[in-house]
Amino acid sequence: MSTPDSELDRHLRALFAGLDTGADFDARLMARLRAESHTEANERALRAQQERARYRQAVSELQSWRRSVLRLVTLDTLGIGLLLVVAVVAAWPHLGRDVMDLSRQYGRYIVMLLAILTAAVPLVGMWAEQTRGPLRSP
Amino acid sequence: MELVRAERRDEAIALLLPAFRRKVFGLAYSFLRDREAAEDVTQEVFIKVWRALPGFDGRASMSTWIYTIARNASLSALRARRPQSSLSDPEVMQAVESLDPVPSADAMVDRAAILRLVDQLPTKQRQVIMLFYMQAQSHEEVATMLGMPVGTVKTLLHRARARLQAAAAQVSATA
Repeated sequence: MSTPDSELDRHLRALFAGLDTGADFDARLMARLRAESHTEANERALRAQQERARYRQAVSELQSWRRSVLRLVTLDTLGIGLLLVVAVVAAWPHLGRDVMDLSRQYGRYIVMLLAILTAAVPLVGMWAEQTRGPLRSP
Repeated sequence: MELVRAERRDEAIALLLPAFRRKVFGLAYSFLRDREAAEDVTQEVFIKVWRALPGFDGRASMSTWIYTIARNASLSALRARRPQSSLSDPEVMQAVESLDPVPSADAMVDRAAILRLVDQLPTKQRQVIMLFYMQAQSHEEVATMLGMPVGTVKTLLHRARARLQAAAAQVSATA
């Protein structure tokens, strides 16, 4: 085997210059890409479906939480009203004459105001719920 | 880049394929030394490129990006399969024979010997030699493909050629 530079170059070129993929490489790759594209579209659709389901569940949980908060606030207000009534009844015999006079004069208005406030709490809650608008799935 | 932005990935790949197929295949082959495995890796590289095209931001050049994917894919494939095949395996020899339809008997002997010598080179020198003679002898292209400075490629090439020449001289002296 002779070894001048140019001959080595010639041999190396002959060995490696023609190195290439098989003839059907592009066709095989495009077929795989088409299959991949199909799989990707299916996965995307599945992900979107899962996302919608998650959103619906979150909306349902939020609505349920809002309803329970409203119930809790209503019950709290009723409880506070009842406690006030009990406190007034219990303190009534020990109240001074001035307070008795004042309460005789304004008692009905105070009771009416408290009753309106107690009734207004759930109504305000419901109004707030309505004005926020219903949550919808995307 | 416009095709990528327009999410026309198939068209983008159809444009990239003729420009990079042979180069990516050569790069994979320089790592794997197995034609079939190199083709598989080349397919994987283009599928990865197709998947990742929407995320390509153009900060690096397209060729640098593709070669990085190709190097990583080749290294993964190399780690996944052991033992390594050799350039002087019968099937590689057969592939070499098929490159030149009518080689003379002397040329075949010379090429087989050269192939064995290339096979015995250190990995990086072997890769540089293969890619240099595959890629129309461009130092810059080989440097981009292997992610090395051009100077390193020149040094590796010089050392590889010196080794090959010395080994070839030794072979002819003993023949």
